[in-house]
Amino acid sequence: MGHLRRAYLGTMSEVAWRLPGWPQRLLTEFSLAERGSMVDMLAAAQATPRREMRRKYFLHALDEGRHAGIFAERVKALSGGRVARSDAVIEDAGLLQDHGIVGGKTLFERLGELEFLAFVFVAEADAVEQFGVYLDRKLPDPETTAALRDILKDESFHVSYSKLECERYRREGKPVDAALRAVRWRRMKEGWMRFTRDFGEWASGFWLLLLYFGAVGPFRLIARLESGGWRSASGASAVARNGLDEALAAARLES
Amino acid sequence: MPVYVLGISALYHDAAAVILCDGVIIGAAQEERFSRLKHDASLPIRAAAWCLKKAGITAADLTYLVFYEKPLRKFERILATSVATFPKSWGAFPRQMRTWLGDKLWLRGTLCAAFGVRPDRVLFCEHHLSHAASAFYASPHTEAAVLAVDGVGEWATTTLWRGSGTSLTPISEVRFPHSLGMLYSTITAHLGFAVNEGEYKVMGMAAYGQPRFRAELDRLLKLDPSGGYALDLDYFSFHWHPTRSGTPALEALLGPGRFPGAPFTPEGGAAGGAARAESQRWADLAASAQAQIEDAMLHLVRHAKAAVGTDALCLAGGVALNSVANRRIAQEGPFAHLWVQPAAGDAGGAMGAAMWVWHAVLGHPRQPGLARADLGRSIPVDRAREMLTDLGAKFEAVDDPPASAAADLADGKVIGWVEGGDEWGPRALGHRSILADPRSAETKEHVNSRVKYRELFRPFAPSVTAADADSWFDIPAAAQEPACWMLTTAAVRPEKQATIPAVVHVDGSARVQVVRPTASPVFHQLVSEFGRLTGVPIVLNTSFNLKGEPMVSCTVDAMASFVRSGLDVMYVDGLRVERPK
Repeated sequence: MGHLRRAYLGTMSEVAWRLPGWPQRLLTEFSLAERGSMVDMLAAAQATPRREMRRKYFLHALDEGRHAGIFAERVKALSGGRVARSDAVIEDAGLLQDHGIVGGKTLFERLGELEFLAFVFVAEADAVEQFGVYLDRKLPDPETTAALRDILKDESFHVSYSKLECERYRREGKPVDAALRAVRWRRMKEGWMRFTRDFGEWASGFWLLLLYFGAVGPFRLIARLESGGWRSASGASAVARNGLDEALAAARLES
Repeated sequence: MPVYVLGISALYHDAAAVILCDGVIIGAAQEERFSRLKHDASLPIRAAAWCLKKAGITAADLTYLVFYEKPLRKFERILATSVATFPKSWGAFPRQMRTWLGDKLWLRGTLCAAFGVRPDRVLFCEHHLSHAASAFYASPHTEAAVLAVDGVGEWATTTLWRGSGTSLTPISEVRFPHSLGMLYSTITAHLGFAVNEGEYKVMGMAAYGQPRFRAELDRLLKLDPSGGYALDLDYFSFHWHPTRSGTPALEALLGPGRFPGAPFTPEGGAAGGAARAESQRWADLAASAQAQIEDAMLHLVRHAKAAVGTDALCLAGGVALNSVANRRIAQEGPFAHLWVQPAAGDAGGAMGAAMWVWHAVLGHPRQPGLARADLGRSIPVDRAREMLTDLGAKFEAVDDPPASAAADLADGKVIGWVEGGDEWGPRALGHRSILADPRSAETKEHVNSRVKYRELFRPFAPSVTAADADSWFDIPAAAQEPACWMLTTAAVRPEKQATIPAVVHVDGSARVQVVRPTASPVFHQLVSEFGRLTGVPIVLNTSFNLKGEPMVSCTVDAMASFVRSGLDVMYVDGLRVERPK
């Protein structure tokens, strides 16, 4: 499994680091992922019942924030200051995509302390392996290589501390191996879900496009954009209704 | 049995939750302060949970949950626009339909599942009605014209209402795709800033330029004699393109756009002649767009006066956050009183929707207007102490935090200031603020580059005690209320400008906050004490966050921003935290 993964990463590395524009895209994804991790780690620092862990999570979060900044700087440098306009959000607002809040719950709240630590260990070990493959393949850009080396040191430390904490749980008789298995299984499942989501988006996009040209297009003949200027307010607002019951009934409508 | 109404805004940008108990605001919070994702649009589950906790109830106790839009009507607009722009909308159509068919169309069920309420308790309020209600019911005015101007809601982009007592009567509206908000956002994107985030940067940039592109911009927007307006849609693609808001015709008219993050150096510095000229072109474009939006708003406001005739104007919607335009409305407009609530953008829709249910749907009388903005989460001092101890921070409890902070400021320190509840809205009003001494010109560059790591051209706001405001700033009479929420600019009196260079923008103006003891008593003490120590009752006040992040909310967020920034000291309520070595 490990060999397969390394072979896959190596092949992807050859593609991703050498095609024009791809390194920027990859580094942007890294930057967003690190920003998301920072948010997750800060949430863990806030929520952990184990007070001795708070500082560890906090320092980990600071590392992730620093990494996000380093990756973002590399994106800017490799783009020669010409970041795509559609990526203004990255320059401006640090768009997050990979933070772990689902259904209003942070990653820590969903997993609990033990499984969260197992997650940190597995995710950081994967990152170490991934960056190691990239460095072995000799990236075309020495500055990015240096940045990756710097970040790799931190990631290795994150692997060690999370491993130590997992070991401590093991000594307390907690089901660490089960937690690690659950995390690995979940990561595989989430990877599969991402793939199916992407495929689903592609497939639904195809059918919706057919619908657009086949069924929507003909109505173009009778459709017009609204003209500008003031017009009488046509909103069926409940305030214009007679009586409170009618107002309440109108407020229940979604249209 | 008290009536609890939970207002929700979400799924576009700036999600928020507001809870009312018998019409009184118990809490108001934006989801971004919990999730740490700036402008977070997702359903505000955490903000709502906090609201319920603050009110001491569970979701089962809610009388109504009200969403700030009518989703089906919005869907109708999106579908109709896709059809009308066929075949150009081929790229946007699949994306929009996927989002709507997969998620947004089934909103009642989603809301019930996410917030744990029964379907018959879920209500929907029109987007612009939510805006209008948030401005009118939160204002001290019982008779007012109400103008809501934003990007778009369901169909309306600009609406005019007559507010009287508890009723809000719609008068007229401008419909999508004609939208002042979208016009300004298109220029924002052209200038290399993110839409719904960088609009206030355009406003800041504008002061460095001259409106020499006004003739070109006037081709985009026509103001009609009946008080309305229309866009020339040949220049815009926001209504049919999935990611771009301007067409190649716009680029041909205005010249190439700015790349995000490109250095802006209108005043020279290290930049050479070509770079400086390009920066100046951007600044001139920003100045032209700003002048245009101001004129357009004045045009609408004059129509509002003619149509409604009251003394007071309540302004809402994202465009109402344009503090420079608000100043001109107050100075040159026909209304004696202007009111803008602190969260005039989409977050404020949650408050407006909840207030509308209480007053218009349930028929209850008016409550006193909104007097404070610290409506969000506060930090119990014991919890802050525990957190800081665990994080290894060096801190001490101080007897008189405002006096101690004022002394630090007078000593030249830049401080992080966390006190009371989070601010409602995008402005830091002395509860989650970075504060500095405004008397040194270097402070501005220091705070921009070494503390917040943001663009050097961005101005900083002064916070001044109410008693001293008039002697330092020429605040328009009609803008006294918006000045309390930092929602207007004012001219800094010429003889005072040299005393507070860090908060005077290049055009001699400042986005001033007038601090009233009733609105922010502790912060008022701080500014007063700084005035006593230095003779200048003004502090530099900017939001306590780093570039691209929402304002800090809890102790851990504050500590994370503190150690990553160049702040010297931080106060978390009564605790003074030293910078780690």
